[in-house]
Amino acid sequence: MNKTQTDGTEIQTVPQLLAHALALETEASERYGELADQMETHRKTAVAALFRRLEVAEKQHLADLTALCKGVELPHYAPWDFKWRSKECPETIDIGRVSYQLSVRDAVLLALEHERRATQFYTDVANSAHAPEVIALARQFAQEEREHSAWLESCLAECSAADSTASEDPDPPLSQE
Amino acid sequence: MQAVVRNYKARDYKSEVKPIWCPGCGDYTVLNAITRALAELALPPHEVAIISGIGCSSRIPAYTSVYGFHGVHGRALPVATGLKLARPDLTVLVTGGDGDGFSIGGNHFLHACRRNVDLTYIVMDNQVYGMTKGQASPTTAPDWEGSKLTPEGTGINPFQPLVIGLASGANFIARVSSSDPVNMAQIIVEAVRHPGFSLVQVLSPCVTFRPDQAVWRDFVRTAEVDCTDDAARAARRLMTDDGFNVGKVLFKGSRAPYRPEFERSNGSIADLESRFML
Repeated sequence: MNKTQTDGTEIQTVPQLLAHALALETEASERYGELADQMETHRKTAVAALFRRLEVAEKQHLADLTALCKGVELPHYAPWDFKWRSKECPETIDIGRVSYQLSVRDAVLLALEHERRATQFYTDVANSAHAPEVIALARQFAQEEREHSAWLESCLAECSAADSTASEDPDPPLSQE
Repeated sequence: MQAVVRNYKARDYKSEVKPIWCPGCGDYTVLNAITRALAELALPPHEVAIISGIGCSSRIPAYTSVYGFHGVHGRALPVATGLKLARPDLTVLVTGGDGDGFSIGGNHFLHACRRNVDLTYIVMDNQVYGMTKGQASPTTAPDWEGSKLTPEGTGINPFQPLVIGLASGANFIARVSSSDPVNMAQIIVEAVRHPGFSLVQVLSPCVTFRPDQAVWRDFVRTAEVDCTDDAARAARRLMTDDGFNVGKVLFKGSRAPYRPEFERSNGSIADLESRFML
């Protein structure tokens, strides 16, 4: 809240970009995993499966990225020093926007919004960087995020209109009942 | 920014136990902020303890890999005080909710502030007893009609934890929002580093029994004040504040933390016993 939020223009070196990408993929995979766990706890199996699949995809990204970082001395950023526009990493879904009544369609839309934010982040870096290797790497990362978005868009097309609203709770939490 | 190798990641401080809070609960964010803060502080997990009482938010010790004690309702602070005095080498955090901390444990809260042991107390304030299905807590607004126990509201002015904490002697006062976990992590780092009793109030919505709190994320604003070491100034600010100014440390005092005599003298138990007229 009290940090400077930029559009990635301060990322000008490969180690800086890798440090951001590593944080972004780590936090996204962990958050998708947390959300899958939450939904499993509440027997929301379809939504849980979606988040789990995204967790697996992000973990694959993370593994690839970790291999890419091998031998590179990465700068340390405190969580509040990263150059995100958002309060957390652009790909990390805000826990406060999730509910146990989340429908599959709403979950897809939420994930899609965050995958697009990640694409935008890398695109902004590519557009503002000067070093050709940073531009190339940021474009590659943006393309990988686009692939996630494309998959989510195909999921969205498969969601029925009936799934467009939050599920009803036949036994809602009532105080003192 | 420093080019240093950090040995710990936030996930290193999480246990294998999966939280069972309601999806959307602010307490998830607090857990994430605590683990991020510990990673940033680079504290080995075996040098940290998290103590709690009873309530949804008091489940945090189970979800972390550090030492933990899930204690008796309202008694987290006495347990944490004893632990810190016996093991001053440990970094001790206390977590809990508004009911646990300000009602059942209200008296302990006052005296923990007064005693000023080097603890960090993180209170997830959702203005309701969530675990027992939604009764008014000490910080609930007087006109909240959401409970059948108080269908016309409590009619009682809410407890003001930061003002009371300040008046009782807390050495560090901050308010944060669960809607900004990164800022929260930063404030927790400052709270842990500051000597003495640090009080961090977290506005952490209860999505199940206080769905009206969903708007808090829109209400909160970064406090437009600088940290002060003047308790009277801090008190004036807090007394005139609507409770939604967040994201800043509001007060940092300079009182030395309480240390027991036996620690200062470095004496043995036998030495200590010899000083009692038994």
